[in-house]
Amino acid sequence: MDQRFLDPSVLAGISSLDLLAKTVVDGFVAGLHRSPDFGFSQEFAEYRAYSPGDDLRHIDWNLFARTERMYLKRYRGETNSQLTILLDASNSMQYTSGPPAKMDYARFIAASLFYLAIKNQRDAAGLIVFDDEVREYIRPSTRVGQLSRLFAGLERAEPHARTNFANPLRHFQNFLHRRGIAIIISDFYEDPETIVHTIEPLRYQGHEVVLFHILDPQEIRPVMKGSAIVVDLETDQKIEVVPDYVKTTYRAKVDAHIEELRTRTLAAGMDYQLLVTDQPLDESLRRYLTLREAGN
Amino acid sequence: MGFLAPWFLGGLAALGVPVFVHLLRRHITTPRPVSSLMFFEKGIQSSTRHHKLRYLLLFALRSALILLLVLAFANPFVRRAAAGANDRLLLIVLDNSFSMRAGTRFADAKQQALSTLAAKPHGQKAQIMALGGQLEVLTQPITDDTQLRAALESVQPGDGHANFGDLGRAIRTLSETNPAPIDLHLFSDMQRSAMPANFADMVFPSAVKLVLHPVAKGAAEPNWTVESIDAPAQLQDPKDPKRSKVDAVIAGFNTPAATKSVSLLVNGKVIATRKVDVPANGRATVNFAPLSIEYGFNRCEVRIEGGDAFPADDAGVFSVRRSDPERVLFVHAGNDTRSPLYFGAALGAAAQSSFILQSVAAEQSTDLDPSKFAFVVLSDTVTLPSIFEHTLAQYIAKGGSVLIALGTSAAHHEKIPIWDAAVKDARDYARTGAPATMGQVDFSFPALAQADPGRDNGGWADIKIFYSVVVDPGQARVAARLTDGTPLLLDKQIGEGHVLLLTTGLDNLTNDLPLHPLFVAFVDQTARYLSGNERLSGSRPVDSYVQLRAGTEAAGSAGSVEVIDPDGKRPLSLSEARTMQSYRLDRAGFYQIRFANGRDAVIGVNPDRRESDLEPMAPDVQQLWSGSSTGAGQLTAAAAPVASNKQPFSLWWYVMLLAMVVILAETALASNYMGTQREDI
Repeated sequence: MDQRFLDPSVLAGISSLDLLAKTVVDGFVAGLHRSPDFGFSQEFAEYRAYSPGDDLRHIDWNLFARTERMYLKRYRGETNSQLTILLDASNSMQYTSGPPAKMDYARFIAASLFYLAIKNQRDAAGLIVFDDEVREYIRPSTRVGQLSRLFAGLERAEPHARTNFANPLRHFQNFLHRRGIAIIISDFYEDPETIVHTIEPLRYQGHEVVLFHILDPQEIRPVMKGSAIVVDLETDQKIEVVPDYVKTTYRAKVDAHIEELRTRTLAAGMDYQLLVTDQPLDESLRRYLTLREAGN
Repeated sequence: MGFLAPWFLGGLAALGVPVFVHLLRRHITTPRPVSSLMFFEKGIQSSTRHHKLRYLLLFALRSALILLLVLAFANPFVRRAAAGANDRLLLIVLDNSFSMRAGTRFADAKQQALSTLAAKPHGQKAQIMALGGQLEVLTQPITDDTQLRAALESVQPGDGHANFGDLGRAIRTLSETNPAPIDLHLFSDMQRSAMPANFADMVFPSAVKLVLHPVAKGAAEPNWTVESIDAPAQLQDPKDPKRSKVDAVIAGFNTPAATKSVSLLVNGKVIATRKVDVPANGRATVNFAPLSIEYGFNRCEVRIEGGDAFPADDAGVFSVRRSDPERVLFVHAGNDTRSPLYFGAALGAAAQSSFILQSVAAEQSTDLDPSKFAFVVLSDTVTLPSIFEHTLAQYIAKGGSVLIALGTSAAHHEKIPIWDAAVKDARDYARTGAPATMGQVDFSFPALAQADPGRDNGGWADIKIFYSVVVDPGQARVAARLTDGTPLLLDKQIGEGHVLLLTTGLDNLTNDLPLHPLFVAFVDQTARYLSGNERLSGSRPVDSYVQLRAGTEAAGSAGSVEVIDPDGKRPLSLSEARTMQSYRLDRAGFYQIRFANGRDAVIGVNPDRRESDLEPMAPDVQQLWSGSSTGAGQLTAAAAPVASNKQPFSLWWYVMLLAMVVILAETALASNYMGTQREDI
């Protein structure tokens, strides 16, 4: 796999989401092996000698006519799924300790997933941008121009306002009728119990729900040499903190938060993935494909 | 306390800088954004207190740094009590010059010095010196009274001539190396003749307090002395009326006119007595002739009979060596008859000459033994029989001397025999039409010595040189040069002997030197220098030096020297006898010396006759001297002004040291602070 094209710091230099997504997905796919599972869809895979018990409908009679031997035509397994990405566009997502910002990283992931879904998997893909309300909804579709619409939606998703999971998620259930994959990209600065409780109904509807937890390295292991005033990006509240607290208590709290979110998410039958903005994007793509395989 | 440069205190205005930076300027802290305060807790009180404390500490350090720098430039000082009695160095200088032998001067001086030493506080450091012909340092600054007393007791009257100028120079040097103030007690007869020509030479530094202890009381007593003796050092014929005579000058100091009886003693026997009328405070010459002496060394003495206040200076000693005239070997080219003629005539005409010239052609010199001659002259003989050249080289190495004169033949040969150097060039000034003249003459060189050369370069300016050979001087001493820089007379020491090189001839063809009267004096002085007889007898003053062996000789490569002092003792140890280059004649009387080249000498040594003038320095001069360093006279020296006990002590060094420490602390604290600033941004 060409990690260079998946490195966030490299991707931050690419302005076009289209190109970025193509770069990421092509780089990712180029390193994948073909799936060993075969189906009977339209994409021909190989011939196999007939053995008793095989469905006679799959025998290639033309070949039988020429060779008087019975072979079964095998096709690569292929299904259509629906991908909906729920993107958190609250103010906290604009935090960065170095390129890319969490919001940009989330856009990269979303764009790459859209590209992978529509171009490679021929899945329907949709987007919901939310903060404390649903700001934009692009319904899942495979129509021509859907990818461009999705990218435009991502471009428009600038962070502002606060995160509030309760409000927008009430609407999610109204938007997502058909079962599919729902990927929620957020920094999840909320009580894990509230998050899971809010998202859980999606799972009940039969969606495969994945939580992509985007965090900056400085949010997990912040380095602070002296006392400093910190300001909340969403509330503008300022407090003064001391390095000893950051070094010990803060890190413990963050670790506990991540662990609790992971545990509760998995317990609710959903998937969880922590993505740190200095890590390559391939993990998120791999997780999507895995889910897709599992769901079909 | 005060400031030596108070105008630098204006720099205190710079204190406004840290005041502005820390107190007046508002601190702008850029808040650090975070995604959420969900996991943060306030730590306001502790961090603010931490910040304020650090800022105040930094402010204090910066203010202190500026304050210290300003103070350092202003040079603060405190008045500190001057060194106490125990911090002062007691320096006792005892005069043991020849004049201290008069009467009870030396005993009185030593007694007074011992009393002064005994009165010294136990913990005070003291040092003992003896002022004779040289200033002898007998102890280092120590507190051991026993050792100091022993050193003082060991001082004996000497025969040297004291010089207060030497004392001044030594004390000035001592004062530079020894920071403690010095109390100098000088026990002396304060002879006027011991004063240097320049009074400033005997002035001491301000840290030295001079206390004079004159031992000569009242007016100087009458004293007659043998001031000088004019006698031949070497004599061939006692009946020679020109040379066989002794002229002695009898001088009186503070004396009335008197008729003195003067005797001449040879080897302890009175051979003649003369009456001489010496005027008041005047001089008279007494003549003894002929001088009846035996072969070998004769120890002679001129003595004033009758005695006076200072009998030790009533006699003058000298030695006369009687020998047959010595032969001089003159080797010349076969066709050269002028050189031996001129040189022989000059040698015979010299007043003090005692040489017989034996001239021989170079070809006939094979079987000659140079050691039988006083010295050898090679006149334009660039080729010598190899046997003779080898013999001659050995003769020089053992102490023989050779004069080489280079004529026109030298230019045709590359190498000069014996001299061991090549001929670089030959200058034929006659062809150019302008003969060369003498440019530089070293009148300190024995063969050219003249007391008062005058404006005509001692007569050498009239000499015309028509032909000269250019020789690389190398290690040789150049005694004379022509106007174009060509060396004319060079002297080189080879082994124990000397080789004198004249780069022109001894005839009247290459120069007109033989035609001048100066030639006779030159030949006479050269002969005496080369024969070395001058230093084997005669008389010398006390504290003069005798060269025992050649300076170029490797240590231990030749035989040892032997010195027997006037008491009949051998003052040199065995190792000194093998290595010592020169010896100081520090006692009056006859020294018997055997040099490294095997030649014997008997030298009469007389004290400096300035010591015979017992007139002390005028009281006002003594007062001036003792007050020159402290600004007060001897009488008031004991009650030194109280103000002088407090001396300013500069503190700038300590202030700078403190400032350096503050700089380091400020740097460490500020860098820590700057690190926090980067974190905030």
